Amino acid sequence: MSFSLKPIGNIADSAANRIIKIIPSVTFSNKKVTGVLKWAGKHLSSPPSNRFILGASALMSQPFIDLNNKRVDEKTRKVSAARTIAKIVAGTTTGVIIRWLCFKATKSMAMKPSKSTGFLRSLLYPKNTSKVTVKGLTHHKMFLGHLLSLGVMMFTNFAIDAPLTISLTNKLLDKIDKKEKKITNNYFKKYPYYSSIDEFVAKSKEVNNGISK
Amino acid sequence: MVSPSNSIKIIDYIYKNYSAKPGKILIHAGVIGWALSSAAQISAIIFNDKIPKEQKMFLVPQEFADACVNILSFYAVTRTFTAIATKLAKTGKWILPSVKKYLTKHNLANNLGNPNFDISQVKMPYSLRKHYNWFNYGLDATATTIGSVLSCNIITPFLRNFYASHRQHDNIAKINSPECPQQKKKCLKSPVYSIYSYQPKSSNLKI
Repeated sequence: MSFSLKPIGNIADSAANRIIKIIPSVTFSNKKVTGVLKWAGKHLSSPPSNRFILGASALMSQPFIDLNNKRVDEKTRKVSAARTIAKIVAGTTTGVIIRWLCFKATKSMAMKPSKSTGFLRSLLYPKNTSKVTVKGLTHHKMFLGHLLSLGVMMFTNFAIDAPLTISLTNKLLDKIDKKEKKITNNYFKKYPYYSSIDEFVAKSKEVNNGISK
Repeated sequence: MVSPSNSIKIIDYIYKNYSAKPGKILIHAGVIGWALSSAAQISAIIFNDKIPKEQKMFLVPQEFADACVNILSFYAVTRTFTAIATKLAKTGKWILPSVKKYLTKHNLANNLGNPNFDISQVKMPYSLRKHYNWFNYGLDATATTIGSVLSCNIITPFLRNFYASHRQHDNIAKINSPECPQQKKKCLKSPVYSIYSYQPKSSNLKI
């Protein structure tokens, strides 16, 4: 049995065709808008900056979605948000660095062979292909960059991302614990009816049992 | 070790198969990348002894759902955004004044917005073609970025949390079920529950 994502892609394409009919026609005469589009075409399509934008926007949205997940208890919400922050920070940092290095490496190693370029500089250039176009070569370098970064990330996901996520999650959880303890201690200092949180919990259980009986 | 002649063959094969279809590798690399990252993160949750069992029962399905939903929402949402941007630029519904002026001059302005019209097939001067290309790339990159932010950072977190919270409730209910002590023993022996009970120190979950 084979699993294909093509039907989802076809749905997306037909949805796009319908949406396009509703969108009004626009002529972009505003220089600021065209300037932004030009900048976006140059910078957003590069994988390292794309990964950075995704990471930064994830940091601004995902922890808040986790903290507002009312289907789970407060402790789970906090642990989940802490882990999400740690995962985003670790993943974005390593992701951006690895992509930047890999794409830079493939770009400098896929140059057209000439007397000035050494063996290494033209190692990834297609040599037996009859016609190498500028557009084709750009896509070729892009492919190799993705392939290399994917290969590197096979190891770094386990060797760097996972341990870094664990350590950052634990640091955040420690901070949350310290903050909670401080709030509890302040409460008992202010209202000294109970000597500790354990006594308070035991007493409230007794009260609850009494009510239920 | 790959010999130099074989490496040249591989490089040529890559150029022939992927230089014309860059989107193919983006999708393939994305799917493999998400799956690998998810596997690493699940192992990070399992081996983190500071996270209690009860929370692990939420975090493991959350991470698993994160990869699955990310792949599906990338296909459904990001692809829709990219397809819209490509069509808007291709059909000339969204256009630069210089390109519009050129098309009007050559009696092609009537076709603007027609779903079958393709500006990239129209012969135009090199400078204008360059102008059209950067507009096209810009629109495409902006739409793809907005689509990815929406799918990966808004839709996926909501859906993965929804799935994970249901899984957590189900697992806790099964383990704490007083009616079926025998079934409970079976559950505890299963590999799924041994994953959650990796660390012996935690005492948050009462079984």
